[in-house]
Amino acid sequence: MELLDQFVVTMLRSSTPIILAAVAGLFAIRAGVFHLGMEGLMLAGAFTAVAAGTAAGSVWVGLASAVAVCLVLSVLYWILIDRLRADTVIAGLGLTAICVGGTAFLMQAIFSQRGSMQSSVHLPRPVRGIDSGLLSFVSELSVLTWVLPVLVLMCWILLTRSRLGLQIAAVGEYPYGAEASGVNQSRIRLYAVLVTGVGCALAGAQLSVGDLSAFSENMTNGRGFVALAAMLFGARSPLYTALAGLFFGFADAFGILMQIHADGTVPLQFVLMAPFIVTIAIVCLSSSIGRRQRRC
Amino acid sequence: MNAVGMNILRFGTPVVAAFLLCGLFFAVAGYDVWEAMLGILEGAVTGPGSFRQTLRWSIPMVLIALGFMISFRTGEFNIGGQGQLMLGGLGAVTVGLLVPGPATLILPLAIFAGICAGGLWSAIAGFLKLRYGADEVITTLMLNFIAVGFIQWVTVGPLKDEAVRGETASTKRVDETLRLTGGDGVSPAMLCVAALAILAAWLIAERTPFGLKSRLVGANALAALWQGIPVQRLRLWAYLLAGGFAGLAGALEVLGPNGRLVTNATPTIGFTAIVVSIVGMSNVPGIILAALLFGGLQAAILFLPIVSDLPNSGLRIVEGLIAAIVTARFVHLRRQKRP
Repeated sequence: MELLDQFVVTMLRSSTPIILAAVAGLFAIRAGVFHLGMEGLMLAGAFTAVAAGTAAGSVWVGLASAVAVCLVLSVLYWILIDRLRADTVIAGLGLTAICVGGTAFLMQAIFSQRGSMQSSVHLPRPVRGIDSGLLSFVSELSVLTWVLPVLVLMCWILLTRSRLGLQIAAVGEYPYGAEASGVNQSRIRLYAVLVTGVGCALAGAQLSVGDLSAFSENMTNGRGFVALAAMLFGARSPLYTALAGLFFGFADAFGILMQIHADGTVPLQFVLMAPFIVTIAIVCLSSSIGRRQRRC
Repeated sequence: MNAVGMNILRFGTPVVAAFLLCGLFFAVAGYDVWEAMLGILEGAVTGPGSFRQTLRWSIPMVLIALGFMISFRTGEFNIGGQGQLMLGGLGAVTVGLLVPGPATLILPLAIFAGICAGGLWSAIAGFLKLRYGADEVITTLMLNFIAVGFIQWVTVGPLKDEAVRGETASTKRVDETLRLTGGDGVSPAMLCVAALAILAAWLIAERTPFGLKSRLVGANALAALWQGIPVQRLRLWAYLLAGGFAGLAGALEVLGPNGRLVTNATPTIGFTAIVVSIVGMSNVPGIILAALLFGGLQAAILFLPIVSDLPNSGLRIVEGLIAAIVTARFVHLRRQKRP
């Protein structure tokens, strides 16, 4: 029972940041922006949440600052890709590199810490008091994990049932058509990138002040790219993307527990590789189906 | 002004701008920028042995960037250089450790194995793109992660060096006779191999029917198809070549400075090489210059902590900033739609 408990906690913890980033990232990808800067934005959010939260002594100030920083970075990214017509992929990779270097730089410049720094604040864990029994794991989940279903539902409504969501889809699928029907594609793309920025900030904050109460250099460790994979795995639908994020969390938890209770029949590395292989397979499948439909 | 001058202006400006912006940022953050810039210069060029370090980092960068250039010219956006580099290293170390024989025979074989391993790894993405239409940005990105896992497995499993008890797993060292260089990664033999590879890339890109056709395919694939060019086969070759060059870089890392396959030895070099290729204007002389610049930056990153209190992660910001702004206002480079 204890093992199952541990497993569920680890899975929910690992998948929360991925789902947050992935579902918010859907706004960008649906607007036609393949946002490789998400990894960097998550890292910036993680650092700002710790830095501002520790400085102000309040985790909510940290969270708000993380969102603000990611919004500013998202606007800059939008200026690059939309106003200045930079390549989305290369500018995104550049944004990620700036954030990897920038967070390490600022950590050393402001806090004189190398490698990692502790946070004096962390996100509340709202449900307490259940110390034993089947559901004892719930007391270890941060508030962001609890509001996650609501956020996913909100994104689902926004993306599929709102004017903005449909305009985003139109801009992504056929920008000239959207433009012709009176949609300002630049502005829609800005909104989409901003929503993605907020999601990445929350995802980063969950990593640093929700899960660990510390920031360390490059702590996102590719989770922003994993979130991209989850979007494609989830066929760009919010609900499936959330499930895909849960699956990545599952694989992660499986890997971590195997490290602890390893019996060595399947090498750990192959378990960790599995989601990426599955993503490739899904992408192949979905694009070959897309091809066939187009031909008819 | 002639075309070459225009291009240098176009791609040189972002580099200078990035340095100036970051210098300003460092100054605001309260660092002695002049001292730091001198430190960068010392670490990259003027210090004792510095230029050797610059060359040591420029070699893998120039090779991966040339591979990227070849596939980029056919319109394929192969960002899997990092994974292909690792697989190239794996190919070379496997032959170097497991195949017995005289060094004169095994060394070329190990290099060839690296080229093949990198090329095949890249060809997976190529095959999936051409057969199923799977976007190569995604598949190569995923293949990078898979390569990391695979190399980790190899270095803690089948090829593990039992003697090493440190943090990073690695394979056994290859025999000294198979090494092209010592630990500093520069030797006449290494420079010869690199020069040959650069020459080969130039010949392929500029002096063969393949090079000419690939530009046509990159500019307008449909028109190329109507001209009777086998577009799919050409693109698959572009993937093989791109991976081959990255694989060669990986093999040279193993047979040169590293002497063994180390997990995550150079985690950012595949990304930097893409920037090198873009800053180098996707042509051979430009890429060589850009690789020297970024190789110098890499050498300076490792050297800077010795002479300046500026955190060396600051130089990563410079690198990222160059990447972020270098393609700005290039309409023809833009990819409209992503799946």
